Amino acid sequence: MPAQGGGRALSDPLVIAGRELGSRLITGTGKYPSLEVMHDAVVASRCELVTVAVRRVDLDEVGEAITDRLPDGVRLLPNTAGCQTADEAIRVARLARAGGLPDWIKLEVIPDLRYLLPDGEETLRAAAVLVEDGFTVLPYVLPDPVLQRKLEAAGCATVMPLAAPIGSGRGLKLRHTIEIMIEQAEVPVIVDAGLAAPSQAAECMELGAAGVLVNTAIGMAGDPVAMARAFALAVEAGRSAYLAGVIDESREARPSSPITGLVTS
Amino acid sequence: MKILCNGKELELQPAATVTHLLGELGLDRPYALVERNGEPVERERYDRVSLEEGDRIVVARPVAGG
Repeated sequence: MPAQGGGRALSDPLVIAGRELGSRLITGTGKYPSLEVMHDAVVASRCELVTVAVRRVDLDEVGEAITDRLPDGVRLLPNTAGCQTADEAIRVARLARAGGLPDWIKLEVIPDLRYLLPDGEETLRAAAVLVEDGFTVLPYVLPDPVLQRKLEAAGCATVMPLAAPIGSGRGLKLRHTIEIMIEQAEVPVIVDAGLAAPSQAAECMELGAAGVLVNTAIGMAGDPVAMARAFALAVEAGRSAYLAGVIDESREARPSSPITGLVTS
Repeated sequence: MKILCNGKELELQPAATVTHLLGELGLDRPYALVERNGEPVERERYDRVSLEEGDRIVVARPVAGG
């Protein structure tokens, strides 16, 4: 028997903190072979929100600004990558906003440099301070439904659980915990990190994730521009399938043709 | 006047502003992010904040990242 959900619009915006985004795919800007390829991939992905890191300028080699090479109309989402404590993340967020970047912050507090796993306690502490300070906070977390509730209560605009360690390409390894998060979500759950293939992004969306954030899988693909398009299609397909209503599993077969009136009976 | 910018000693004219500093560095466009002695400087104030001898400045900007 088909599940409920058919009939709804297949194209629906992702709403974060009251702002509508036409795409449920968010992309990172790292790991591309060149800024030209990054630009073309962002265009092909049709995403409206891209992450950027914040780093000190090398005064001996100022080089080109990434913001000069992003398509018009794409909104920047600065991250706090590289921060190992709440205080470091708060410092970076405030620096970014003061300098004119948006007051949306992808909050990452990562003391574990081998697996790049976030520190939930410090993330929560930073989130509370930044929300109070007027930021729209999108925290990167291990899948943890209890932490999710605390982050929601602190006023976070999304919760972004990792599918697998950053850049690992291991796919939706933490599916069952992420399913619980989606089930109880008060704010959008955006699966962030660890995906390799568009099919995995589609899987996240079919589960009901509000969006996915992808960087390595696109930036390091053989053809990043083609892969960006593939992820865009997968996210759309997965979302459409979720809205259409995926059937329940059955242990036994269910005939698709009539079982009565057989010619041979 | 000497300041320390991103760990490097720089010589600036007395009373140089943040805007002057960014101009010297070729960073007088969005988005140059500036911290002065540990405190972020609002972009709207770059013209008005005069640097002082011995200031510790961090100049950062958005870079590629995930």
